[in-house]
Amino acid sequence: MVKRSPLYDIQKKLGAKFTEFAGFEMPIQYSSIKEEHMAVRRNVGLFDVSHMSNLWITGSDTEKLVSLTTVEDASRIPDGKSQYTAILRDDGTVIDDIIFMHLGDKFMMIPNAGMDETVTKWLKDKAKENNFDVDVENVSSGFVILAIQGPKSRDTLQKLTDTDLNEVKFFGCRDIDIAGVNCIISHTGYTGELGFELQISPVGDAKDVFLKILEAGEEFNIKPVGLGARDTLRLEKGFILAGNEFEGGRTPLEAVMSWVIHWDHDFIGKDALLKQKEKGGYERLTSFECVEKGIPRHGCDVQVDGKKVGTITSGTMSPCLNTGIAMGYVHPDYREKDSIVEIVVRGKLVKAKVLRPPIVPKDWVRNH
Amino acid sequence: MADEVRDDLKYTKEHEWIKIKGDIAVVGITDHAQAELTDIVFVELPEAGKEVKKGEELCVVESVKSVSEIYAPLSGKIVKVNSKLDDSPEIINESPYDDGWLVELEIKDKSEVDSLIDAETYKKTIE
Repeated sequence: MVKRSPLYDIQKKLGAKFTEFAGFEMPIQYSSIKEEHMAVRRNVGLFDVSHMSNLWITGSDTEKLVSLTTVEDASRIPDGKSQYTAILRDDGTVIDDIIFMHLGDKFMMIPNAGMDETVTKWLKDKAKENNFDVDVENVSSGFVILAIQGPKSRDTLQKLTDTDLNEVKFFGCRDIDIAGVNCIISHTGYTGELGFELQISPVGDAKDVFLKILEAGEEFNIKPVGLGARDTLRLEKGFILAGNEFEGGRTPLEAVMSWVIHWDHDFIGKDALLKQKEKGGYERLTSFECVEKGIPRHGCDVQVDGKKVGTITSGTMSPCLNTGIAMGYVHPDYREKDSIVEIVVRGKLVKAKVLRPPIVPKDWVRNH
Repeated sequence: MADEVRDDLKYTKEHEWIKIKGDIAVVGITDHAQAELTDIVFVELPEAGKEVKKGEELCVVESVKSVSEIYAPLSGKIVKVNSKLDDSPEIINESPYDDGWLVELEIKDKSEVDSLIDAETYKKTIE
């Protein structure tokens, strides 16, 4: 059965069009993807991302379990900090990319939409195999998750709390009262802009918070934003969407996530990654901007001199650049920065330039 | 806001409108279709001079999120394409029935016109 966010009714009233994503019926857009996209780049936007999952991990071996099952050494992450990382299978391929938050004596983990049961089972099994004193609880249906993103996100939220939000540092997390409701706040996001995410429980409190944020942001022209703009915003920054970029089994080396791998600790999948690294020659996730008209989409071939060298995993029209942008896995010999490839869009060849992410740089808005 | 349906046009259930001017049929997508798609960002037009059969792919309209094939509502020769859409596909959103037309077809078989639906019938399909 398709699940709905506890905010579905308000979103419907706000004019949202809905789409099904990973078993959830969520807003794809309210007014227009382009308008919502630019609201986040220039001002502030409010997303409901309750389709994402929430797990509590508790017990004296919490750090040990997280370190074993992710590419992060969890002992490095102090109380009040969150971390982006990945959970791997034994063969090194990614089960899911996640954020975990260190909150006092427990950790909250945020797997992707529809991944809650898979990740919960995986963590529980590993805890059992290793006799860890740890409990993993799937509390996904007990939380609403809101993301407030954009240069005016801090000013908007600051109107609703006595806590000085400058004290919530990048990737920091803590308890906070927002509009009189106790939430967990983290200085994180998926748009490449200044932004915060709120975990709200019980879910009955979330409607009020959602509406009060929209009201507080009115002076900054806040917009509610759907999954359509969430996708274009992340793609302009070269951020991975698990369902697209890990489809079919990809390692973090292929996904060019080496920066999150902490090699100094033992973790599931490490041996496989070391072998892959030594062997080399594997495809790597690569970003493109089209230099001709056309919009690459998921599944398009990437060619050089008529030979297939890769496959597009995500593609769209960039609302900022007004050109087709994409990412996909490409043979390591054909991804030199600024080199030109051809992407096959409905049988036609569209020339595209290889970039290093972000596709749209941080200062783009200031200059446009 | 109700979607505009013009009484003087013919339609298909696939949300195209057709304006018959003698032997020529002007083809576009309806106000309802453009509102559903929103933010049209790319239109792949056919070459003028190409012959198409009814039901064959005529052109492709892309929004940010989706790719929609538009099928020929009638058989005929494409005599004109709206090349303004190459640089400004958003014209379809702004003016679906006027400036946002897609192609002009020289109608090959007049009897096919009878298969098109009128404004009243089309209105019912989008209610």
